[in-house]
Amino acid sequence: MDAPSSSPLHNKRTTTGILLLLICCLLSSGRMVFSTPHPAHIMRNSIAARSDDRFALLKARLPSAGVVGYIGETGDSALPDYYLTQYALAPLVVDHSTNHAKVVGNFRSSQSSWIPPDLHLVQDFGNGVYLFARKEAN
Amino acid sequence: MAIALAAAISMLSGYLLTDAVWPHARGTVSAWLMKLSLAAGLGLGISSCGFFVTGMAGGDHFVVSDILLLAVIFVLYVLIRVRSGRPIPPNWVTTDFEAPGWLRLVLASSFVVTTFAALYCSGQRMVAHEHGDGWDAFAIWNLHARFLFLGGPHWRDGFNALIPWSHPDYPLLLPAAIARFWSYLGHDNPAVPSLIGFVFTLCTVTLLVSSLAQLRGRNAAMLSGIALSATPFFIEQGAAQYADIPLSFFILASIVLLHFGFRSQWRNNLTHLHGPWLLAGLSAGFAGWTKNEGLLFLGAIFLAHLLTFRARPSSESAPEKPTERKYEISFVLGLIPVLVVIIWFRHSVATAGDLLSSPAIMLEKILTPSRYLAILRWYVKDLLRFGEWWLVPETALLPIFYLLVRKKRIRYDPLLRSSSAALALTFAGYFVIYLITPRDLYWHLRFSLNRLFLQLWPATLFLFFLFVGRQSPAPSQNEPEIP
Repeated sequence: MDAPSSSPLHNKRTTTGILLLLICCLLSSGRMVFSTPHPAHIMRNSIAARSDDRFALLKARLPSAGVVGYIGETGDSALPDYYLTQYALAPLVVDHSTNHAKVVGNFRSSQSSWIPPDLHLVQDFGNGVYLFARKEAN
Repeated sequence: MAIALAAAISMLSGYLLTDAVWPHARGTVSAWLMKLSLAAGLGLGISSCGFFVTGMAGGDHFVVSDILLLAVIFVLYVLIRVRSGRPIPPNWVTTDFEAPGWLRLVLASSFVVTTFAALYCSGQRMVAHEHGDGWDAFAIWNLHARFLFLGGPHWRDGFNALIPWSHPDYPLLLPAAIARFWSYLGHDNPAVPSLIGFVFTLCTVTLLVSSLAQLRGRNAAMLSGIALSATPFFIEQGAAQYADIPLSFFILASIVLLHFGFRSQWRNNLTHLHGPWLLAGLSAGFAGWTKNEGLLFLGAIFLAHLLTFRARPSSESAPEKPTERKYEISFVLGLIPVLVVIIWFRHSVATAGDLLSSPAIMLEKILTPSRYLAILRWYVKDLLRFGEWWLVPETALLPIFYLLVRKKRIRYDPLLRSSSAALALTFAGYFVIYLITPRDLYWHLRFSLNRLFLQLWPATLFLFFLFVGRQSPAPSQNEPEIP
């Protein structure tokens, strides 16, 4: 496509504008490349390790639909741990409550230090994953 | 093999529909690239709706419903193409940036470098974050996809009030598209959300570059592609498995298609051509089927159109008044099927959203001046840093670029005003949402505002380079004055 003719001053300004934009974009692009992790340093995704891998055994023991309760640790990791449990156990709904016949225990970094007296341990799946049941549910 | 079949059906549906209603978009490499990027994005939208409707109807014969949908589109394609005959490729191109030969070479080289850099970073991030990068990926989008795929007859369990944090009111374009691919594969392969994210990222860049190459020329197109590919946050989010990049694609596609629709009448006198309008309506509908912000955009595009074209006296200089209702009807016709799906989802599946509280509380928030100041402050701050650019933010760079390349004679057109107004109204809508949010304001701003800006960024770049490219001293012979 032929560009229409213009004044030399404007051509110079346009050239400056384009070069300025190019330099800044190339700088951003360059930094993006260098800040992206190298394949050799890529670690196993922590989401899979904290969800699917940890809960695989428990998932096989639970029904494929319905609602189970949940009890876990307190602190900063409490919420992500709960979300990751739901992600791993879907399509089962994981309700953050112990008022269910079956309750999933998630104690990734500590022992199940405080378990309500109306729950009893059904099975320890290792890696901080437990299945509890309500005593009256027996 | 299964994934290739799923992708082929999706792509073919999008391509046949685009080519059936808009056969004029051909003849050049840019036209083909634009059509391919539209076909990929719209195809994913169509197959997502098909999968959702099959699930709602209680069926699990998703392959049969996919093939039926494809057959319907094929019949439509044959009927339209037989009637319309061979289309003549129209002429869109107007004035481009003036650049000497050496600068064009630098521009082309930079385009190649930034494109490969973006592809490299996307690929690395896809491998590094196979379940997405951030909470929303697994806690919302992929979780919904798992319920749709693994839930069988109980898939609706994932959209109940027991897990409100997963936002059961969020629309399902992305989860349904992922679940559909998983259904073909037979297992929930984490590569699928990554690949869909990559396709939308690639299609957004391709659509931006190919549309501007046709409307403005190669230099403006390459500059826009460089500006978008060199936005680190755009590339990061493309691999994060969030819905913001798909939404940005549909917002861009709606605006691009409206521009082609208007120019079909103004520049080429193709008054019978309704395709771009129809596809723009479909794309705007898919924006609403991707995220709730897409519904806000849908309202904004209507309001902006009304304010620009209905509220002003008609000009006699326009060869064919683009405000004629028949074009608006085409837009609405494209929108209606998706709108029906959205309404069905809202009525039968979704729980109430969590952004609205009681009218009294909302009124109290609206009447609190400190909230306006806080939001304004974040808007200004995030406007300069949302792209995660290095040294100079592009949002500061573009006005400088404009001041350097602009000429005294500035020609505005109503379509540019209408599109800019649609983006501005969406932007203002986000502001109102923050104003009334029941959540902690600073938390809400901190974790969402940069992504809201990103949703509008590709469309903003499109309008910017379209507008800046128009700053010519005199209209060329090919370009009549647009009222």
